[in-house]
Amino acid sequence: MQRGPYPSATIAAIGIAVSCAITVTSKAADDNFFQDKVEPLLQEKCLTCHSHSDRQMEGGLTLDSRAGWATGGDRGPAIVPGDLVASLLIQAIRYEDPDLQMPPEEKLSDEEIAILVQWVQDGANDPRTITPLSHQPTDWWSLKKLSVPDVPGEGHPIDAFIDRELANKNLRANQSADRVTLIRRLYIDLHGFLPTPEEVRTFVDDSNPTAYASLIDRLLASPRYGERWARHWLDVVHFADTHGCEHDDKRDYAWRYRDYVIDRLNADVTWGQFIREQLAPDVFYPESPQHMAGLGFVAAGPLELSRAQTAPVSFDYLDRDDMVTQTMAAFTSTTANCARCHSHKFDPISQEDYYALQAVFAGIGKGDIEFDSSAEVMQRRQDLERLVSAADALNADVLLQPKYENLVRQWTADQPSRRITWQTLSPDVFVSTGGATLTKQEDGSILASGALPDQENYTVTSEIPLERLSALRLEVFPDESLPKNGPGRAENGNLHLSEVALQWFSKGGDAPTALAIRQASADFNQEGWTAGQAIDGDQRSGWAIFPNVGHSHHIVFELETPIDVTHGGSLAVTLKQLNPPKHIIGRFRLSVTDAEGASAQTLPADVIAGLEKPSERRTRLEATAIAAFALREYAQQQLVVLPPKEIVYAVSSSWSHAKKLPSPQQPKVVHLLRRGAFDKPVREVGPGALSAIDWLPGRFEIPNPNQESQRRAALADWLSNHDNPLTWRSIVNRVWHYHFGRGLCDTPNDFGRMGSEPTHPELLDWLAVWFRDEADGSLKQLHRLILTSQTWQQSSRIRPNATAAVLAKEAANPNHRTLDEENRLLWRMHRQRMDADVFRDSVLRVTGRLDLTTGGPGIEQFTKEKGPQTTPEIDYSAYDWQSPGASRRSIYRVVWRGIPDPFMEALDFPDLGLLAPKRGHSVSALQSLSVFNNDFVLHSSQWFARRVAQEHDEVEAQVSRAVALAWLRTPSAREQIAFTDYTRKYGLAAFCRTLLNSNEFLFVD
Amino acid sequence: MNRRAFLWQIGGGFGGLAMTHLLSTDVEATPRPEFNGGLHHPAKVKRIIQLFMTGGVSPMDTYDYKPVLEKLHGQELGPKEKPEGFTAAPGAIMKSPFSFKQHGESGRWVSSVFPHQAKWVDEMAFLMAMASKTNVHGPGTYMMNSGSLLPGFPCLGAWVSYGLGNLTDNLPTFVVMPDAKGLPYNQRGPFSAGFLPAVHQGTVIKTHTTNTVPDLFPHERFKFANPQADQEGLALLRSMNEVHAADRTEDARLASRIRSYELAAKMQLSAPEAFDLTRETQKTHKAYGLDNPVTEDFGRRCLLARRLCERGTRFVQVWSGPQGATGNWDNHASIPKELPPIAESVDKPIASLIEDLKSRGLFEDTLLIWTTEFGRTPFAQGGDGRDHNGGTFVTWLAGAGIKAGTSYGKSDDWGYKTAEGTTWCFDLHATILHLLGIDHEQLTFRQNGIDRRLTDVHGHVVQEILA
Repeated sequence: MQRGPYPSATIAAIGIAVSCAITVTSKAADDNFFQDKVEPLLQEKCLTCHSHSDRQMEGGLTLDSRAGWATGGDRGPAIVPGDLVASLLIQAIRYEDPDLQMPPEEKLSDEEIAILVQWVQDGANDPRTITPLSHQPTDWWSLKKLSVPDVPGEGHPIDAFIDRELANKNLRANQSADRVTLIRRLYIDLHGFLPTPEEVRTFVDDSNPTAYASLIDRLLASPRYGERWARHWLDVVHFADTHGCEHDDKRDYAWRYRDYVIDRLNADVTWGQFIREQLAPDVFYPESPQHMAGLGFVAAGPLELSRAQTAPVSFDYLDRDDMVTQTMAAFTSTTANCARCHSHKFDPISQEDYYALQAVFAGIGKGDIEFDSSAEVMQRRQDLERLVSAADALNADVLLQPKYENLVRQWTADQPSRRITWQTLSPDVFVSTGGATLTKQEDGSILASGALPDQENYTVTSEIPLERLSALRLEVFPDESLPKNGPGRAENGNLHLSEVALQWFSKGGDAPTALAIRQASADFNQEGWTAGQAIDGDQRSGWAIFPNVGHSHHIVFELETPIDVTHGGSLAVTLKQLNPPKHIIGRFRLSVTDAEGASAQTLPADVIAGLEKPSERRTRLEATAIAAFALREYAQQQLVVLPPKEIVYAVSSSWSHAKKLPSPQQPKVVHLLRRGAFDKPVREVGPGALSAIDWLPGRFEIPNPNQESQRRAALADWLSNHDNPLTWRSIVNRVWHYHFGRGLCDTPNDFGRMGSEPTHPELLDWLAVWFRDEADGSLKQLHRLILTSQTWQQSSRIRPNATAAVLAKEAANPNHRTLDEENRLLWRMHRQRMDADVFRDSVLRVTGRLDLTTGGPGIEQFTKEKGPQTTPEIDYSAYDWQSPGASRRSIYRVVWRGIPDPFMEALDFPDLGLLAPKRGHSVSALQSLSVFNNDFVLHSSQWFARRVAQEHDEVEAQVSRAVALAWLRTPSAREQIAFTDYTRKYGLAAFCRTLLNSNEFLFVD
Repeated sequence: MNRRAFLWQIGGGFGGLAMTHLLSTDVEATPRPEFNGGLHHPAKVKRIIQLFMTGGVSPMDTYDYKPVLEKLHGQELGPKEKPEGFTAAPGAIMKSPFSFKQHGESGRWVSSVFPHQAKWVDEMAFLMAMASKTNVHGPGTYMMNSGSLLPGFPCLGAWVSYGLGNLTDNLPTFVVMPDAKGLPYNQRGPFSAGFLPAVHQGTVIKTHTTNTVPDLFPHERFKFANPQADQEGLALLRSMNEVHAADRTEDARLASRIRSYELAAKMQLSAPEAFDLTRETQKTHKAYGLDNPVTEDFGRRCLLARRLCERGTRFVQVWSGPQGATGNWDNHASIPKELPPIAESVDKPIASLIEDLKSRGLFEDTLLIWTTEFGRTPFAQGGDGRDHNGGTFVTWLAGAGIKAGTSYGKSDDWGYKTAEGTTWCFDLHATILHLLGIDHEQLTFRQNGIDRRLTDVHGHVVQEILA
């Protein structure tokens, strides 16, 4: 970023008086000059603020390497070798610009300035080779090839690695947690809510040695597992149901990606396939269209709609920035986005790499995309669409195939009974509200002339010459008096029928009856102006016929219910022609029928001719025409009854700037931007990934670079590559993090030099390789491995059997823990606080109201009103907790990105404007107020009380049962007395409320 | 060993972490008495009221007098193409429809839309050349609040809460009062704690409803949650939690949660009084414009801001205008028609707030900030409106530590871009933190492997406006 929009005016005035004492020197002399004069000066005066080692990087500028000053800081390159005028460093040390004076404390002496001036003038020779990046950039744990360490000992491999490190520190693993603690921990870990006392009892009583392993299997096999673990992934990819930002609009189909993640985790898709499905399902799994929902991954983050509309260039770069950031953080725990303005300061990610990653996503935009729900449906749809195309093309080879013979014969046989006779109306009254002159013609049609208003309503009233009325037909005819011969009065001969209204006046009746129209069909529809729009209630849309002007057309309206007209009466037909202006019907005629299934379809002449002959006497042309007509009708009917396409908010080449394009776009050109400035493109960059991992292709060879899906596929291949060192470490570390509350590497989204280093690097590698090769990328197998380790089953208590007095004493003198206060080596289990979702779902479970309905559109647990812009006003406190879906699992809540639920937020539900690889666990007075007073908890307290009261009559028993449900234990004698006493005074709901607020409920030992 | 170090030690892993966050809202947190509550050097400011004008205040129609525009009025001199972030191609140069006069000893030019604030210019220090990286509302609003164009970053108030914690247990540390007409651009994004712990989030106060502080009390429909049951219930909860903590003594979070309920109870006692404006005199109500529908909403919130600050809230943010095209400062359609009403709605309340803060001695340690997300073009849009312009805009500060009656920076002759003394949000934020006794480079939070700062890798304290 630049400090000011204007270059300083002083630049031109300086730099003329340049010393040219030494113009040609040897390299050795240059090196000496640098080392003797320049480097000490830089060290003393500049590097305190401008170096990597101090992590200062004032203004983004580093002067500890050639790359540092050549790239420069906020204002651009600090030094341009040989060019004093362009070198900001020289300008700064000369104090020429009041806004740019370095060093800020005190100006350098004239002598010192002269040294730097000479150095820059002579080409700024910088022999320093040891820089944070050039010094073996990949010499960093996460970038090294995965090692396959030997398991150090017998037994469970995880325990072997953990025990070895503990032994090195003279520590010992803790004893196992008791069985109640264990099943509680396991339920929360795998399902995200508490077990019931009955489930606990069954497990505790099960003496079978395989009881624990079977419990794990059972929990992993339940759909609850996918719901719990999908939430983790949705955090990682900052998924929400709305755009966020200024126009925080709802994405009606974002939930399809949420369901996709749940389903795929439940199905235990392999990790490599999970990556491919989320980046390029269209390329890898064209035969499994349902995986297209995985593409919601790329669109999970926020969208700045306003920027898309008014600042398209910055929008493109920043929208893709979010995709790059998310993809690289989620799959490789890499902060690629740090290289947007300059090469990564700490990790070997060049600015070029970053823009290569942007180029991967250069051909797509976010929006709703459609896909079929299964391969069968997709196949069927394709077949039928091909049949329609063949019918349109009159392709005899397809249409006359034996497999269609029966269909065609059946259709032909049905024809006589389907012939529809229309009875032309002879209207008594016909009026124009727009002032046109309407004249009845000999053929019963009505011709308009005279005044041509912007808007027009024709109302025609007529008796019905039938006993039954089932449909109405409107014919429009060309006429010489009309522009372009009509049939419309618009300059181009077009017309727009906005809406049609039918009213029946029965003889002697008082008020007319409005007749509902089931469907409308026309012989021809203008693109975007179809028959259905004349009955959709929207006066802006309607039926039109351009460019097919100069011919007759007709539109047929089929009544919802045919009416009996035996007793007489009259039909009033109103033809509303409102939008756009002057698109008025020029000549028209109305007719009616009593036949069922009337439509606007008319048989072409050759079909009629063919039908009049016995089949064996038809010409091939006639047979083809009949087959085409019959099969088109069949295919269209079948297409309508196919399961509709599903929709997901995702990405495709048919979207750009949040707008659907008429045809797919070519990938946009991506430039490396100097200092990340949108208006400073340097050079074009093609798709690729990180070039530092030299055994993987850093730039993608794509035969046809315009085929954008190949770019995504190439990145998916790069990410899921067997030899990608980051991917496999990243996922096993993430899984470890969620099981233990802390990863082996404690920065799950950053394995770079600014992140943490793993506490057990060998274990991490062993797990990564085991997961990739032995478990074949199965997360469920990884869960089983971790959960069956003693390490995971340890007690979280410091001394599980010590008395309180002993513990208090030890806390004051924590000698045995000083070796590893933070428990990094896992000599016990970490105690975790329930996260917002677990708390909410657990509360619902103890109340007995947890609704385990799966999938589908999200539940809005708030009220919505119109807001000042498109984003609605949202009120969580006004939500009616009796509404359907109120007790669904938390993952099915609609998450409004910019207006999150304050209650969930108080319990550290993350701000999904950003990736959330870890949940917080704060404590505050406001949080306690929320847990104590929020409507959700208070309603739940009542539900909880009601449930317990239904199960037990006596207060003692009610109290005991409530404690059992919330704490999974029986109250002590003293507790029983105190709780019963309180309950008698204030009621069961009040007591349940304290249970839900208790630490024993909220924390997981 | 100080308390934080001690808790780290006994905390054991997470306990330590959580405790640090709790402590940052604790009276015993790191602010140092020898620095007057600052972290790194002596603090001049203890609390802040920030007034945020949503939509982008037009500088050349308020505080940035541009006589050149009168000469060039009507001439097509702007860019021919629509710049990024403009909503339309620029029209002709447009002079201000309002008259300007010099005010106070400082001779500050102020337009006729701010007659009341004009009386107080000698108390203010003006940043006359603020610049934004964007001309789009959402990113611009984020930038002025969090220093980032993108969502998810903590705002100034959250950073202050994280750095200094609270001054009282009785009230939330960081309070936000949006316009009654609706939330600003980005909804609650501009008050987000981002990646900071949730406790630093702005508490959104709905001053126009009865339920002012969310969840402060149970809804009255829950009869079982009556004051008596609550009081004894909290005592029961405490004993439950103490029993639970007794054999988990190493876990400081458990004790923190016990304490958090005590703090919650204190807040229940104090907050209602703080929000009760009936305790103010009729004269005060009138001074803040509560008797006038035009000024009532903003005036009420200014008065509440003063009451909250008096009682120890650290950071109060008062918004003028909702997002959208009307009722705010986004005057695309007509400066002469749209600017005066919104200006009137804030002018008298702000002047009264200054007077009130001064007379109560609160200016000794309170900083008042008036700002917006960007400026507007010197070119007309659609007749006599103005489009977005991040090129230059005005912010003023007043109160503790401020060199009253000064200004820093200049825009160019048109008021299109900055000419000298360009000040970015980073510089403004650095200056505010400086006044709070915080070195903006040292207030960091490690997120995804990056030591995040409010000022990113930028920021210079604007010494020129400091006393």
